[in-house]
Amino acid sequence: MAEEIVIPAWKRWLEDIGDQVGFFIKFFKNIFVGGFEWSEFIRQCYEIGYRSMMLVGITSFIMGVVLILQLRPTLVAFGAASMLPKTLSVSFVRELGPVIIAIICAGKIASSIGAELGSMKVTEQLDAMEVSGANPLQYLVVTRILATTVMVPLLSVVGDAIGLFGGFLALNIRDSISFNLYFIKVIASLDFADFLPALVKTIFFGFAIGFVGCYKGFHSNKGTESVGIAANTAVVTASLWIFVIDAIAVQITSLLFYK
Amino acid sequence: MTDTATDIKSKQASPNKGETVISIKGVKKSFGSKEVLKNINLDVKKGENVVVLGRSGTGKSVTIQCIVGLLKQDDGSLKVFGDEVAEMSDKELKQLRIKIGFLFQSGALYDSMTVRENLEFPLTRVLKITDQAEIDKRVEEALDGVGLLEAIDKLPSDLSGGMRKRAGLARTIIVNPEIILYDEPTTGLDPITSREISDLILNIQKKNKTSSIIITHDMECARITSDRLVVMNDGEYIAEGSFDELHKSKDKIVASFFKDIS
Repeated sequence: MAEEIVIPAWKRWLEDIGDQVGFFIKFFKNIFVGGFEWSEFIRQCYEIGYRSMMLVGITSFIMGVVLILQLRPTLVAFGAASMLPKTLSVSFVRELGPVIIAIICAGKIASSIGAELGSMKVTEQLDAMEVSGANPLQYLVVTRILATTVMVPLLSVVGDAIGLFGGFLALNIRDSISFNLYFIKVIASLDFADFLPALVKTIFFGFAIGFVGCYKGFHSNKGTESVGIAANTAVVTASLWIFVIDAIAVQITSLLFYK
Repeated sequence: MTDTATDIKSKQASPNKGETVISIKGVKKSFGSKEVLKNINLDVKKGENVVVLGRSGTGKSVTIQCIVGLLKQDDGSLKVFGDEVAEMSDKELKQLRIKIGFLFQSGALYDSMTVRENLEFPLTRVLKITDQAEIDKRVEEALDGVGLLEAIDKLPSDLSGGMRKRAGLARTIIVNPEIILYDEPTTGLDPITSREISDLILNIQKKNKTSSIIITHDMECARITSDRLVVMNDGEYIAEGSFDELHKSKDKIVASFFKDIS
């Protein structure tokens, strides 16, 4: 009976990092190799973007309502109730909206990509694609990563708008403010430096969600259990990456815009 | 062991003396400390059907995965159409894979696509055919060939196991490969469907003059499809010959495959 070789955890971790770098390079190489899979890319944009719209919309709306209800007593105590639209818009557009929407997308999209590709691996569909001479990276990975990179920022913009609308309705529960005035206050309080860095970081969030989902699915083991593991680790890793990217983005934004 | 590979080879009745399309010499492959292929030697001639028999886990699937470059052998030589597979560039490997069809045990149909889209996939992505009329014609011909035309717009989840295998077979042959590798084509099927699949394999060989390696435990499939059989045990080929020759073998392992056959 052959003895099983136990690979130390640090070695496995280093191998995984190496695999991820290799996967990252292959992804970029495959964007420019051969014909781009436009139809699959558009299908993925629909699946990832349109089908996540309801979840993102409801969550953002609730977030807007809850934030106003939580902020109101504190600001009223300081006689600053008129600052509610500004406080909400700045906090929501700069930080809360992009991060929470990205976390929701990590839960929905990264897990679904991880599970889909993981199950394709288990049922030998990835091998079948490869041995047929087709390029699974080009068809499955490039399209999904680019679709998340495009759709997560769009979802974030839509989520911001819905969250701010939720804030408007919540504000009218106890106070009375016209939509025009609320809208003017929100727009007046937002600056280029609030909107652009937030949008740019959601592009990176989208890339991380797609990349992690595809990597975990593509590198899952060949057992049914591994499909669940791929989906689970995709969510955990993508969520972690979102916070890491956010921390870096905040530092860069602070240096560039808020000296 | 009475009938060794060399003994049987010298008296085998294989009619194929043509060009060698697959040549495997001294191939070894290990996963960690487990040696799966110990010393594999096999030549497959043009137009020949070779059936590989062996217990589960003896390395049969690993051998055919090495042939298409899904796995790389640790040692030995594995040539397809005279070229060493392990030394091929990605581009060369892609070109080779166009000439090799691979039927997976499960059929491995792309489950997000209909049967039609499954068959269109290699035509548009691999052969780069853009004429829709040509694509439709080839898809319908391939499905008609496996008796599955009525399921053309169905999803794989709506198909039975046998239908999935036939659809997988249609997707494999639609690009007219010169070599087809079958990984347990009749496993999990009822005897009637197994017989149909075996007949299809034989028809494809006759019609398209393909060379095939068929991995199976199904002795009826082996009897119908084989020009030559090899028996694999513990990472090595232990016997080789025609179905009738191996049927008479006194070797315990070889005989165990034939024990239910009168």
